[in-house]
Amino acid sequence: MLAVCAKQPGLDSTVEERFGRAEYFVLFDEEKNMPQSIENKAKFESGGAGGTAVRLLNENGVDVVLVPELGPKAMDAIKAFEITAYRYTEQKSVREIIEDYKNGKLSKIDTSTTASKHGMYKA
Amino acid sequence: MKIAILSGKGGTGKTTVATNLLSVSDSGVLIDTDVEEPNSHLFLKPQIQKTEAIKKRYPIVDESLCDLCGACGDFCRFNAILPAKKSVLVFKELCHDCGGCQMVCPNDAIRYKERSIGMVYSGHTITGHEMHYGELTVGEISGVPIIERLREITMDDDLVLIDCPPGTACSTVAAIDSADFAILVAEPTPFGVSDMKMVVELLRDLGIAMGVVVNKDGLGDKDIYQYCESEDIQILGRIPFKKEYARKYAGGNLISQVDDEYKSIIEGILKQVMSQKEVV
Ligand code: SF4
Ligand code: SF4
Repeated sequence: MLAVCAKQPGLDSTVEERFGRAEYFVLFDEEKNMPQSIENKAKFESGGAGGTAVRLLNENGVDVVLVPELGPKAMDAIKAFEITAYRYTEQKSVREIIEDYKNGKLSKIDTSTTASKHGMYKA
Repeated sequence: MKIAILSGKGGTGKTTVATNLLSVSDSGVLIDTDVEEPNSHLFLKPQIQKTEAIKKRYPIVDESLCDLCGACGDFCRFNAILPAKKSVLVFKELCHDCGGCQMVCPNDAIRYKERSIGMVYSGHTITGHEMHYGELTVGEISGVPIIERLREITMDDDLVLIDCPPGTACSTVAAIDSADFAILVAEPTPFGVSDMKMVVELLRDLGIAMGVVVNKDGLGDKDIYQYCESEDIQILGRIPFKKEYARKYAGGNLISQVDDEYKSIIEGILKQVMSQKEVV
């Protein structure tokens, strides 16, 4: 099962700029060619949203995820759940990003793309 | 009496007021609870007599006992423990040391380990007063355990001045928890007033009596006075904006030690606050 971070449900939604705090995940079963959208419950977490979002993906049988970025904790979690992550860098629709993935245009990532966030208590 | 010195944001002169109040008091003790950026010690220049590491626990999982049942991850409200496919991940910076995961683990696979999240330094200042300040290790999320330790150390002291973290975050709430009175330091600028309002609301929620010290009086506008009047908040004192104060401060001085006029303003503020004692 493939997952993409999205602002809204559905294939025509724009992709998200964040992973752990993405609004939705659009899940796409390549064999059945069927999309399904789930709300990212982890987005409400004050800390550790990344790891919890990965757990949610795992519960839904996801093994490949297309992401804009991944923090260090989320990356650790992705690896521990044996999910493969590919990174997109363009603001397109979910449908277009899935096409890019199928055409081998996205690159696989296995290290975190952002520095550790701290000082979340400051706000 | 425990007196909290607060401000809506950083840089309003909160630490200057706190450290000078200490220096004119007979037997006060100061704690600097702004553990992310402590700086009162730069002016008070204490000789450190004691350092203490503040510890927090985090879980470690014995993989030979763990069957990845997931109970610990379901329980943890802080997303600090994450049972995955072949092992359990622990994000120790997120752990609040609540002890819950160990209690819910059906296989008794969880133990705790300690780590240091910061330090508390204690000593006597150049003015002979006792002070304690905390320092949170860079990258750590919450300084609350350090603040609690600072409060615990000074629990039985008669006059404690609490230099608080700016703003209204949980660290501020932790710092003012046992305060009898709060001094709000603010500047007479429009931003100063709006930052201040949030602190006023917080203090009212917690039922802590307060007064305002206007720093850099003469600069900016009259909004702050109108606000205090309409909200019925007393002005404890006004520190005028003067170049020589800024110069003395920049030289790393306690201004009240080198300027008699400034000293008498600070003494006036302390007297005002102490006279609240009967009220509270
Ligand atoms: S609750 Fe205990 S047995 Fe279950 S996953 Fe956590 S550590 Fe392992
Ligand atoms: S001790 Fe509490 S906060 Fe820490 S991991 Fe266990 S359940 Fe979470």
